[in-house]
Amino acid sequence: MTLTKEQYRALAAVVGGEHLSDDPVDLDAWAWRSGQAAMAQDFKPRFEAIVMPACTEEVQALVRLCNKFGLKFKASSTGWGSYCDPGGPGCIMLDLRRMDRILEINEENMYAVVEPYVIHAQLQAELMKRGLCCNVNGAGGNTSALPLAAHEGIGHMSASCGIGERNLLACEWVTPAGEVVRLGSLGSLGEWFCGDGPGPSLRGVMRGNVVPLGGLGVYTKAAVKVYHWPGPPSVELKGCSPHYAPVKLPPHFLLRYLSWPAEEGREAGIRRLGESEICFGVMGFNANMMAANVATNNEEELRLTEEYSKQIVGPGVCLVIAGNSARDFEYKRRVLELIVQETGATSLKAVEEGEVHDAFVWRFIRVTASIRETMRATGVFGGEVFGTDSYLVQSNFIQHSRKDKAELVARGLVYPDNTDPFITSLEQGQLTHSEVLLRWTPDPEVAQAAAEYVAKANRNAVEGHYGLPHHLWGDPQHDFFGPHTCNYTHWLRKIKKAYDPNGVAESTHHITAAE
Amino acid sequence: MALADYRSDMESCCRCSACKFIPLEKVTGYARANVCPSISRFEFHSYSGGGRMGFGLGLIHGRVEYTPKTAEVIYNCHLCGACDVSCKYAMEFDVLEPLYAMREECAKHGQSVPVWDGLVAGLAKGAPLVLEPETAEDDWFADLPVADAAERGAAACPSAVLYHAGCLARCTRAAGRTAAAAVTLLARAGLKVAVDKQAESCCGGRAYEMGYRAQALARARENVARFAELGIMELVTGCAHCYQYFKVLYPKLGVEHGLKVFHITEYLWTLVEQGRLSPTRPVKLRVTYHDPCHLGRLSEPWIPWQGVQRMRHMRVYDPPRVLRRGTYGVYEPPRRLLESIPGVRLVEMARSKEYAWCCGAGGGVRETNPEFAAFTAAERLAEAQDTGAEAVVTACPHCVRNLMEPGGLVSAGASAESRIRVYDLVELLGESMSGGA
Repeated sequence: MTLTKEQYRALAAVVGGEHLSDDPVDLDAWAWRSGQAAMAQDFKPRFEAIVMPACTEEVQALVRLCNKFGLKFKASSTGWGSYCDPGGPGCIMLDLRRMDRILEINEENMYAVVEPYVIHAQLQAELMKRGLCCNVNGAGGNTSALPLAAHEGIGHMSASCGIGERNLLACEWVTPAGEVVRLGSLGSLGEWFCGDGPGPSLRGVMRGNVVPLGGLGVYTKAAVKVYHWPGPPSVELKGCSPHYAPVKLPPHFLLRYLSWPAEEGREAGIRRLGESEICFGVMGFNANMMAANVATNNEEELRLTEEYSKQIVGPGVCLVIAGNSARDFEYKRRVLELIVQETGATSLKAVEEGEVHDAFVWRFIRVTASIRETMRATGVFGGEVFGTDSYLVQSNFIQHSRKDKAELVARGLVYPDNTDPFITSLEQGQLTHSEVLLRWTPDPEVAQAAAEYVAKANRNAVEGHYGLPHHLWGDPQHDFFGPHTCNYTHWLRKIKKAYDPNGVAESTHHITAAE
Repeated sequence: MALADYRSDMESCCRCSACKFIPLEKVTGYARANVCPSISRFEFHSYSGGGRMGFGLGLIHGRVEYTPKTAEVIYNCHLCGACDVSCKYAMEFDVLEPLYAMREECAKHGQSVPVWDGLVAGLAKGAPLVLEPETAEDDWFADLPVADAAERGAAACPSAVLYHAGCLARCTRAAGRTAAAAVTLLARAGLKVAVDKQAESCCGGRAYEMGYRAQALARARENVARFAELGIMELVTGCAHCYQYFKVLYPKLGVEHGLKVFHITEYLWTLVEQGRLSPTRPVKLRVTYHDPCHLGRLSEPWIPWQGVQRMRHMRVYDPPRVLRRGTYGVYEPPRRLLESIPGVRLVEMARSKEYAWCCGAGGGVRETNPEFAAFTAAERLAEAQDTGAEAVVTACPHCVRNLMEPGGLVSAGASAESRIRVYDLVELLGESMSGGA
């Protein structure tokens, strides 16, 4: 399918001809991302056109045109995730790149209002100037700061700066039918407002367990909750890329990597860290992720992984402590010492001091090494994304899945990187999130094995009663879990039908209305 | 290497968009976070490093054809290499090299740029790659007591140092004056440099960047033969482009010359350090320094590599593949030189060194799309003004020209958007020498 002249003209009338293209060169730019079987037929389906609206009104007009013409649409900002791609023909892309303003930073009430193409690195830097900070997606500072754009909104500072679903205070939403709905403060008249908006938790309807990944309209603005930043407005860096390090680390910051001989030790450690609320950031890294953070290339990563593995005694966690004052810092440092002592943790000496330490702290807070951790080794990253639940549930789930990964490693199908288990603690230990990374050199056999692996993980989740993973993209996966999970799929489909009567919001990675 | 040889590199693009921004650790606010002029101007993903990897694979697989539109996207890029640096902060593949290869393929498929076809036609004879020359080619050294490398040979030039002025110095008044100032400074330091008065020819690098590999290669071979004939040991260039081409491109094309290649700022800084040049006259000016792409991130030596992947899944190679990441460009000598001038106060722009924003002249864009060249320059001038500087100083005649007359669209002096002055560093150093340069 290609756009008719009438369709093209109508779209161009909304955004202007220079912000619309159906040329193959522009379409194919979006048709590849690594992580596939690397064969010509494994390009992603092309969009029919790329359209670049500049404001909510234009988004609304485009969505209405899609309804009129029976065109599907999918909106995205930085476009990293594979869920940004269409599942088949007949879909146009709403590239939100031109909607890139920070509309407000309200210091008193501690929130910021952003458009979709503001990236975390920008928002975080602006907030730091004002003594504030935000959660940055674990995917990195290069991702959209809109708390609805990312798949989950979980990151390094989620211990102290919340997670996407919690931080979403308000939202402007263009529904698939072309209505503009404003929830929370964006829809209020300056009086009392509720983040859930008018009626029965419209935020839950709009968002769901994970965001609808393009399947339920377009989010054009959002208010995101921001938090206290205990550091300076900015930090001067020395060195040239990729060898950056702070000239002087701000006072009262400390990073440690702790490991325990067994999972029970880590569980106790993370629980104690959470209870004491001493951590600014926590990530359940492993030897390879620590090495990937420090190393500036793969050769170095291999060497450091080996070196760190010898010093790491078992499951571990990377944490940053930030003191608001010398006294506060000293208190937190001593509590940490006590936890280390009482839980029998071992600290990774290699990152404890000097430039390695200082650089790691800053990289961790700015969340700039995620691409190194995931994509650099092989150029491909896949795997499982588990849910958000208690530590033990996540931990038990991951133990199942790591065995399945070991099987793939034994067959030579994926990179034996020892990146599992990877568990991170959220909101001072109240919740936990975990993932199993798979990395490989693309070929069809491996791609097939990776898909089977995810299917196996899903079976594990059901059989072990571990709840819903976050990697549920599309009808087949939802339909697999629905019957085991209160038939939530019925409700999800009712919402889809109600808000998208013509089925124009592309739903390959969400859910379609078809029972 | 042909475009298809970069298939594995291009397939590694995960579409993270890091190529569109300065290295993320360096983002200090909302403004000036972008690093790629091309996508900043044209907005579509296809104009970014990542998007180019995507449709590049489409070209390899025959999904995308070499049409005028494809060429328009490919040539509306400064080849400034900023995307490459930002990507390689994290990743392990080449972004910039496939972009050169795409242009070569474009030319092969009959989608070269007419204005460049005309320019490159004269390259075989060494003609400068400059549209509408303002001066005769020998004007710049006409009144200078500088040795002619050809006439007098190595005997009159004991240091065997050749000053290569570059096309712009031979064709434009402003760059000619800067070249004259450079030679005068070198002479003042007691160096006997020579100029190839009758036969200095274009280095050919810009032709390579426009996709004319064969013509650039032929020019490179002829130039190297000429240097050998002259008995040259060291080459000092007044132009950052020439510097990068002699130092990096020639070895990349397999044309080895064995010469030590210096940019004029490196050379002058050494002379200042040695006490052979002493800037003493105060130049009271608050300045910011613009890093030319070819002197900065693109100037790391070429590292030839041929090998195989050592482990099945991890991208490690035998022998190890060392990627050029812009880390070791020429960043400090120009800054040290500036700081050596009494009265000069240097303030840095938000984007500098390896993640500097391009001036807009690169990639042949000034000739192919002056409006885009002007856009890029305007952004840089605005950034320079943000620092509170009175002048932006740089070290490449192409940068000077495009910042003074963005895209050639503003006739003279500062641009319409900017009242900031633009200097070549050599000029400023000349001013600070008692008695002038």
